Amino acid sequence: MERHFDEELNTLKERLLRMGAIAEEMIQKAIKALRERNEKVTQEVFESEKIVNQMHVEIDDRCLKLIALHQPMAADLRLITAAMKINSDLERIADQAVNACQTCFYHLFKETPVPQISMITQMAEISQKMLRDSLDAFSRRDVDLAEKVLDQDEEEDRLKAQALTSLIELLKKDPSRSAQYVDLILLSRNMERIGDHATNVAEDVIFMVQGKDIRHHLDTAPQ
Amino acid sequence: MSPGASVEERHAEVKTAPSQEAAAPAAVLEARDLNLFYGSFQALKNVAVAIPPRTITAFIGPSGCGKSTILRTFNRMNDLIPGVKITGQVLLYGRDIYAPKTDLATLRKRVGMVFQRPNPFPISAFENVAYGPRVHHTARGSDLAGIVEKSLRATALWEDLKDKLDLPALALSPEQQQRLCISRLLAVEPEILLMDEPCSALDPIATARIEEMIQELRKTYSIVIVTHNMQQAARVSSVTAYFLLGEMVEFGPTGQIFTSPRDPRTEQYITGRFG
Repeated sequence: MERHFDEELNTLKERLLRMGAIAEEMIQKAIKALRERNEKVTQEVFESEKIVNQMHVEIDDRCLKLIALHQPMAADLRLITAAMKINSDLERIADQAVNACQTCFYHLFKETPVPQISMITQMAEISQKMLRDSLDAFSRRDVDLAEKVLDQDEEEDRLKAQALTSLIELLKKDPSRSAQYVDLILLSRNMERIGDHATNVAEDVIFMVQGKDIRHHLDTAPQ
Repeated sequence: MSPGASVEERHAEVKTAPSQEAAAPAAVLEARDLNLFYGSFQALKNVAVAIPPRTITAFIGPSGCGKSTILRTFNRMNDLIPGVKITGQVLLYGRDIYAPKTDLATLRKRVGMVFQRPNPFPISAFENVAYGPRVHHTARGSDLAGIVEKSLRATALWEDLKDKLDLPALALSPEQQQRLCISRLLAVEPEILLMDEPCSALDPIATARIEEMIQELRKTYSIVIVTHNMQQAARVSSVTAYFLLGEMVEFGPTGQIFTSPRDPRTEQYITGRFG
């Protein structure tokens, strides 16, 4: 039986995916800004953040009303609670993109370019893919894809650790560029956090589809 | 581990897991391989369900699924219907209530039933509650007054009625009548309370108050409630069984059934896609 409620749930999904697409574009633009030392692109990111913030509030409100007016159960309830959590993660991802742009203004845009930005762009590519995959997994209710996002997070963490070690070495060797290296460490943190939020989205998708809470590996805790 | 369990429940489960089997208290009432036929129509199909003690167990399912039928087998109310055939067992503390020597009066005293529409006797409120202890010769005189007071207190009716116990039961509000019927059961000290849609004739406020009362009664009695109202099942019960076409499809902790049912048929029903 097709329910009127399903239309409202579909609208909720569409809004969330729209918000996710904007957040993904914001990461892409933040990296473009870094690569091209392009201040104009950072302005676009700041503009997008305003839209994301509005959607953050709008989606939460939508979820609250659906819960209050329909008293959802089971799969419906899991979809709506997952949407609320994903909503928060997407908002935080957008914040990280904004934060990354702001960091670029301190020194990276102003001083002689350093080649090590490639460490950051490499991490950004993974973060962006993780976000895209987690949103696709949400859209298609695809648990396998959500699990792949969890695997990618390990690669992302490995790159973050590697970047940190290299940048600390560089700081010691070439103090004249230390400000830029510190900023790159900050950016690596932004990219890693984006990956973590995408991981949360993927975990929410698994819960939404299977009703299985895999967070913190509590489901595999020794009995 | 149940996916619907809270973090506290999870931790509790982790801690208690090794001894869980041994620690689980026995069922007060248990149906085994229960089949029931109304003539050639099979209303219950191989039902196996165990009712835990001092817990509210909800039976849900669409009309005609067998949920009221199984409730009525628990105190042999179906015996009164011509053409009924029952196979399998219903064990009350391990003893089959369908064994030939079962005393039905004692059975129905131990396993009481509350109906959809309140059905007080057309006598005074006091006499309604005193009726059971009188016929079972369990009390008289001042003892009887004590039992009536205790039973009315248990359903939060005492304060309303203590000065007008002579009032005809039928003059009470529907909610008070339902409370009175429950008091009437409690007066004979039952062990299990069966409730068949006990709130369906009541308004939402009265329903909320009866639900509160049921939660209180759970501390003393094992309760099985049949309800069409899934929100009610979710609110009051700790375990829920879903019935469909005479089969018990799923039985589990209410929190799990309403967040992550395992059977797609349960999912369809409780999300309103079916039924």
